[in-house]
Amino acid sequence: MIEHDVVCPFCGCLCDDLELVCEGGKIVKVQNGCALAESTFMNDVRLPSPIRRTESGWEDISYTEAIKETAEILQGADRPLLYGWSSTHGEAQSIGVHIAELIGAVIDNTSTVCHGPSILAIQEVGHPGCTLGQVKNRADVIIYWGCNPIEAHPRHMSRYTTYATGFFVPDAQRERTVIVVDTRRTDTAGIADEFVQIEHSGDYAVLSALRAIVRGKASVIPAKVAGVSKEQLIRIAEICKTAKFGAIFFGLGLTMSRGKYKNIRNAIELTDELNRHTKFVISPLRGHGNVYGSNEVFTWMTGYPFAVDFARGIAFYNPGETTAVDILRRGECDAALIVASDPGANFPRAAAAHLAKIPTVVIDPHVNATTALSRIHIPCTAAGIDAAGTAYRMDGVPIRLKKVIDRGYPDDAEILKKIYDRLNGGKEL
Amino acid sequence: MRVILESKVRAKPNLPIEAEAIIPRNFLKGTDLIVYEGNKERTLSEMFWIFVEGTAVSPENIEVILKGDTSRIKRVGEYMDTGSIVIEGDIGMHCGNFMSGGTIEIRGNADSWLGREMRGGTILCRGNASHYCATGYRGEKKGMQGGKVEVSGNTGDFCAEYLAGGTVHIHGSAGDFPGVEMRGGELIIEGDATRPCGNMKSGSCVILGTVHDMLPTFEKIEQRVLPEWKVTADVYKGDVANRGKGTLCVRS
Repeated sequence: MIEHDVVCPFCGCLCDDLELVCEGGKIVKVQNGCALAESTFMNDVRLPSPIRRTESGWEDISYTEAIKETAEILQGADRPLLYGWSSTHGEAQSIGVHIAELIGAVIDNTSTVCHGPSILAIQEVGHPGCTLGQVKNRADVIIYWGCNPIEAHPRHMSRYTTYATGFFVPDAQRERTVIVVDTRRTDTAGIADEFVQIEHSGDYAVLSALRAIVRGKASVIPAKVAGVSKEQLIRIAEICKTAKFGAIFFGLGLTMSRGKYKNIRNAIELTDELNRHTKFVISPLRGHGNVYGSNEVFTWMTGYPFAVDFARGIAFYNPGETTAVDILRRGECDAALIVASDPGANFPRAAAAHLAKIPTVVIDPHVNATTALSRIHIPCTAAGIDAAGTAYRMDGVPIRLKKVIDRGYPDDAEILKKIYDRLNGGKEL
Repeated sequence: MRVILESKVRAKPNLPIEAEAIIPRNFLKGTDLIVYEGNKERTLSEMFWIFVEGTAVSPENIEVILKGDTSRIKRVGEYMDTGSIVIEGDIGMHCGNFMSGGTIEIRGNADSWLGREMRGGTILCRGNASHYCATGYRGEKKGMQGGKVEVSGNTGDFCAEYLAGGTVHIHGSAGDFPGVEMRGGELIIEGDATRPCGNMKSGSCVILGTVHDMLPTFEKIEQRVLPEWKVTADVYKGDVANRGKGTLCVRS
């Protein structure tokens, strides 16, 4: 049986044109997808049942027992942390927010270690963005700054930018100018019309210089800025100013290098400046499939996109204070629930070490590095493979993930709802 | 009147305490105040040994002294308008938030957001202050608007971000981006600083130590003597990436 128009839940592109060949309740072939999509659907090795750590190793436990113990751990905690959420659907995320509010927990999603700084910058100066369809049909100048879509978002270029034929850009490869800005010559830099190699952590200075040039203050700029010559900066400013429609995409090279959200703010203000000459937009290249969705769900429920602290009963937000990494590093939290993510592999060592010290429960379809730090691991469905739900693409477009096969696992929203009901004294959500 | 609060030993010493109730004015009516430890509500006496010496009829005569391990206590002096607070050790985040009058003296180090969105009064930190010293809240257009923050040691990153008024005086060095988005007020750093005053709109900044990674968008205007510091300084206008009318003076 062939399933058409399947959505790949892996990265923020949420490509919705995949074809999966299923035989006997198994996916045997992935068509149209990139290597990452193929691996997502084909190498889907799950934990068979919930496990609990014992003195000598692991033991299998029932779902009821695992849910009961998780609820007890969370109930007794003075500063519980609920982290993750970005690889599951919005339905599960919303129950997570309800749990956080009920028990006075801190709830945070993976933006905290990827595009959190982008959100901080957007809160300062706004977001001149658009959907990817606009970029595909109109943009004739594309800037990839601090990102490598060929490896991280392999179909971004073929679906929306360099190789995508657009309504107003019929001969995409010839008509689109691609500028890549990075500290090293990546694969993406190889296909760029203009590659700007900047010194490590020089993004802010280069963006400031470009802003000044666009404002007509080129005379102030020195001959070289963070390893980039003034001639090249002036050339790039000219390409941008004469574009019909320009789009900047940026990745963690900009958000997680020195300066963090100030880099993004500067990039947004450069976009703002360019809009005095032509039409320019800027968008982050989001990582996890539904990380944008977790920001959306958190925002419509609490008012804040990530790092929300319910300790006082009301939502408080202050990245640096209420973010998961900071709370763990300071040893504040005394219980953790990790859903649909892998902080064990991505967090700084001190933060991950604290996860191992406290009772940590993982709800995730797959065994990952966080399992090794946890007390209980509860397997569940994987959104987009054996569970349907809503996810948001990197440009904020909601897309319905499909249930392709049934593998007999309970949905994570269902598990979370049972935990909520227990915490709420048996009263249903 | 003097109120001495000595922190009690806690089962989970890393749990943050939110104690915006600790301001001199509140002690006029007694010590029956509420603080929060993690997600639990506690009375002040559960968290501190409380000693009260003398009496007061007005809040400006009240001095609050914090002793013991106070490094995890947040929001001490929030919305304080008069009187004084002395912290003998380190203090947690958000000390002196929205303060409009009175004085806070910290004899140890201060955690992040010291004097956030401050409007008046004086904060004196004898040790180091962490990130976001004398700044604003996320997304706010104005940070500190008045008063004085003086730090004897060093500060972390983003010191005096969005500074809009008042004086920030750092005797040691500042981290990355001191005075970023500045739009008023005065920032003085006696030590070193990295990438100062990015995107500055207005206000003035004096740096007497070494500037690392000076931003390319500052226009050198002149060299002049700063009489109050008895040094010769290069004077820059900026940030020209913005419509910057700020002044940055760096010792020559």
